[in-house]
Amino acid sequence: MTRTRSPRSRSKRPSGGLRPWLGWAIKLSLVGLVVLAGFAVYLDAIVQEKFSGKRWTIPAKVYARPLELFVGQKLSKNDFLTELDALGYRRESVVNGPGAAAVSGNTVDLNTRGFQFYEGAEQAQPVRVRFSGDYVAELSSTNGSKLPVVRLEPLLIGGLYPKNLEDRILINIDQVPPFLLETLVTVEDRDFYHHFGVSPKSIARAMWVNTSSGQMRQGGSTLTQQLVKNFYLTNERSLSRKLTEAMMALLLEMHYDKREILEAYLNEVFVGQDGQRAVHGFGLASQFFFSQPLAELKLHQVALLVGMVKGPSSYNPRRNPERALVRRNLVLDLLEQQGVATPEQVAAAKKMPLGVTTRGSLADSSFPGFLDLVKRQLREDYRDEDLTEEGLRIFTSFDPILQMKSEAAMGETFKRLTGRKGSDEVEAAMVVTNPETGEVQALIGSRAPRFAGFNRALDAVRPIGSLIKPAVYLTALERPSQYTLTSWLSDDPLSIKGADGQVWKPQNYDRRSHGTVFLYQSMMNSYNLGTVRLGQEVGVPNVLKTLARLGVERQFPAFPSMLLGAGALSPMEVATMYQTLANGGFNTPMRGIRSVLTAEGEPLKRYPFQIQQRFDPGSIFLIQNAMQHVMREGTGRSVYNVLPRNLALAGKTGTSNDSRDSWFAGFSQDLLAVVWLGRDDNGKTPFTGATGALQVWTSFMKKADPLPLDMPQPDNIVQAWIDPHTGQGSDAGCPGAVQMPYIRGSEPPAGASCGGQEPASGEAVMDWVKGWLN
Amino acid sequence: MNKLWIAAVSALALLNGCASVPQGSIPVVDSGVAVSNNERVSAQRTAGNYPQATAPRAAQARTITEDSGVVVMIPGGAASVSTPISTQPFTPGPITPGPAAAPISTGSYTPSNTYSAPAPITPSGIPSNNSGALAADEQLDGPVLALLTTAQQQQSSGDLNGASSSLERAQRVAPREPQVLYRLAQVRMAQGDAAQAEQFARRGLTFANGRPDLQASLWGLIAQAREKQGDAAGAALARQKAKVSL
Repeated sequence: MTRTRSPRSRSKRPSGGLRPWLGWAIKLSLVGLVVLAGFAVYLDAIVQEKFSGKRWTIPAKVYARPLELFVGQKLSKNDFLTELDALGYRRESVVNGPGAAAVSGNTVDLNTRGFQFYEGAEQAQPVRVRFSGDYVAELSSTNGSKLPVVRLEPLLIGGLYPKNLEDRILINIDQVPPFLLETLVTVEDRDFYHHFGVSPKSIARAMWVNTSSGQMRQGGSTLTQQLVKNFYLTNERSLSRKLTEAMMALLLEMHYDKREILEAYLNEVFVGQDGQRAVHGFGLASQFFFSQPLAELKLHQVALLVGMVKGPSSYNPRRNPERALVRRNLVLDLLEQQGVATPEQVAAAKKMPLGVTTRGSLADSSFPGFLDLVKRQLREDYRDEDLTEEGLRIFTSFDPILQMKSEAAMGETFKRLTGRKGSDEVEAAMVVTNPETGEVQALIGSRAPRFAGFNRALDAVRPIGSLIKPAVYLTALERPSQYTLTSWLSDDPLSIKGADGQVWKPQNYDRRSHGTVFLYQSMMNSYNLGTVRLGQEVGVPNVLKTLARLGVERQFPAFPSMLLGAGALSPMEVATMYQTLANGGFNTPMRGIRSVLTAEGEPLKRYPFQIQQRFDPGSIFLIQNAMQHVMREGTGRSVYNVLPRNLALAGKTGTSNDSRDSWFAGFSQDLLAVVWLGRDDNGKTPFTGATGALQVWTSFMKKADPLPLDMPQPDNIVQAWIDPHTGQGSDAGCPGAVQMPYIRGSEPPAGASCGGQEPASGEAVMDWVKGWLN
Repeated sequence: MNKLWIAAVSALALLNGCASVPQGSIPVVDSGVAVSNNERVSAQRTAGNYPQATAPRAAQARTITEDSGVVVMIPGGAASVSTPISTQPFTPGPITPGPAAAPISTGSYTPSNTYSAPAPITPSGIPSNNSGALAADEQLDGPVLALLTTAQQQQSSGDLNGASSSLERAQRVAPREPQVLYRLAQVRMAQGDAAQAEQFARRGLTFANGRPDLQASLWGLIAQAREKQGDAAGAALARQKAKVSL
């Protein structure tokens, strides 16, 4: 516009003389100067305001539990190495600096990185770990002194991002690896330390290159200008923006020194896109591509990252590895040429592979199910802005090793069951917790665990079927004067008339009646008739009260069908319920978060461990005994086709009407897992609790190798010898006599001695139990 | 005039250029400002599931019955505070191994009666290589002792949240060590949460079979916690139990 006007106006005033012209020119340039000065003041305010305040909003970072190391810890060497790989430890022959590990035989030498935790800092230190079997046998410093306990830094498992946002890990310029600054300056702006924000020399060079080649091939931007462009301006390409950029660059250089500007650049630079998340800064780029902290990067990695600045997507080493390699080596050549690195260093670096981690390895996995749980808990306590902008550090109980094992168990079991008709449409959910701490360790919300969507572990609320039964039997066992594990219970058919006049006739799974059985046998074989009869005797409202005491907050109507699990719960709610059974009758609200720190490492909030005793340990001891019978000889017995016999486990199968839901919930001493299989449309599945969910559960336990269940015997429990056929008191010396636990005073009177023989192995005893199925 | 135009237009263009600065995206939040909820370093969950004692913190932990067991004085710990962290068992009596795996139908699984052997007792977090007369969890080993020591130091310097956090770490390492639960109960008490103090002490009792000194200390703590919650009768009962244990 200005150009078209000037010639016209010139022609309007053919010859007005030089003097008025000059006067006008002076006045105008004065005006222009004032305008420019005003504009500069305005820009200066922008430059300073943003640069001196908080420069970036940082999404909250979510961390897994830190792996603790101590002598006697159950941890296999393989699992340990998996964790080290995920944390990006370099395998070296001799450990050299933080983030390195050396393996020889059963011994792993490593140098931890150190980390700021809620209760204090863990120092980086050299450590030697010796494994024996699946245990840590020795933990020492490399100089030989014993260490009581060492914590690795926790694995970063995700962040809490707003819809599309930049993510970064802020770094300090003092923490950058060797070569980074030199390489950056050499490649992007060789005059950086000498110019004032803009470099006329490079602009001239760029113009020469561009005009001679006839296209925009080279930009004359300094690092300062690049920073200004990314930091303050939009991506628009125009002359006015270019001028603004230049002015701001000059202003920035006036106020801040070169190191500050360089540090901001290191954190601002865009290095790649991860779905909706924009990866900014070399700190995050280092984690994103190498799973390592920036400070540990070597020359070849530095060259790759700096080379990517020119074109983050075309030089993306995961998508275009060949192009990225060429670019990296070009950068290395330049370093040699400019004398930044020696020819030997460059030659060695060129021999290195790109070294980027593959996506989908542990370090780069996403765990949407668990993160969803974390987010929901955080939203109760924080505003969204706090979570996406303040750079909070969230420490969770997530155990990546157990998560990988549960995902593997799920995947393999489905593969094995593919043949079954209709199994393709079956969805899945799984919750893994530590019953002794109430912490959630792994969570699967979908059969495709990487897929963030409907989180069935939290939101699929489905009838729990026989998973309710422990609540029924526990209600009875809390009345030792009326019920013991060996009370007789009739499994004969019964019908119940409801308030509306409808008659309900429950049936057993095998549609047969099993006569009169011991109470624990009815439980272990999941007999419906016996359970309904018992539930009616103790009262449905009382069973529902027991359910509430177990930790289920959902309210249910007191219908008799509740006794067979007509009520619906989510897998997470089932986990809460079974956690109380597993933990000696002490209820714990399930926790996924341990603590929250600010971006600066200041403690902000803790989610403390809380317990509440809801049941007498004696009655819990009895119900655990019955639930162990489920595994030994009841509906869960297929577990011992896979797991060793001496591994004590307790659990319960659950199948809803027409096999629409296949459940299994069970625990060892240190692990509790709930598995649900079913269809989203609530259609029929080919699985019962035993043929579906239990198979996943078994496969998981096989991989996780848990500790056997071992509840200390409460004071009010006595072990009595009984005759397994009559339930009458017997004696240790009598043939076939077995021991059963009773609440003191409820045991049958001791039987007569049978002549002091050792208890017979009892070949013929109880064969009748074996014949019964579900 | 024409020059004015040029100046005005270029100034406009420049201003235009900077109008494209996305003002809305400039964050001016000072990083030093706390996030919205100002409950910094608060161990008390306001929305917790359990009733919280509102009583202010009190240093009644030191009135606990002196322990007659072998006591390790934790470095940095107040000398008057009796800490029953012992590397020696309170009493040498072995705990009863829970015969949870007691088979009722021994012979029905396999012809070779393999499963009747009780499962090896391996308390989580505690090495099983100890085959002496002592049950493994009766002595504190390296990690637990180290973490209890750290917690003690944190508590004496007034960092109750840190102490609590370290003790929960110890509890994860040795979930069934009653001395850890005892210390957790003590710290909850010091934090003014008598209800949770009582609960942790009760949990400790379930693992303290055959350790009368520790049982007495736990009952003593329960008595205090109940008193704090206004349950005088319950406190008296607990005191009774503390005497019986000893």
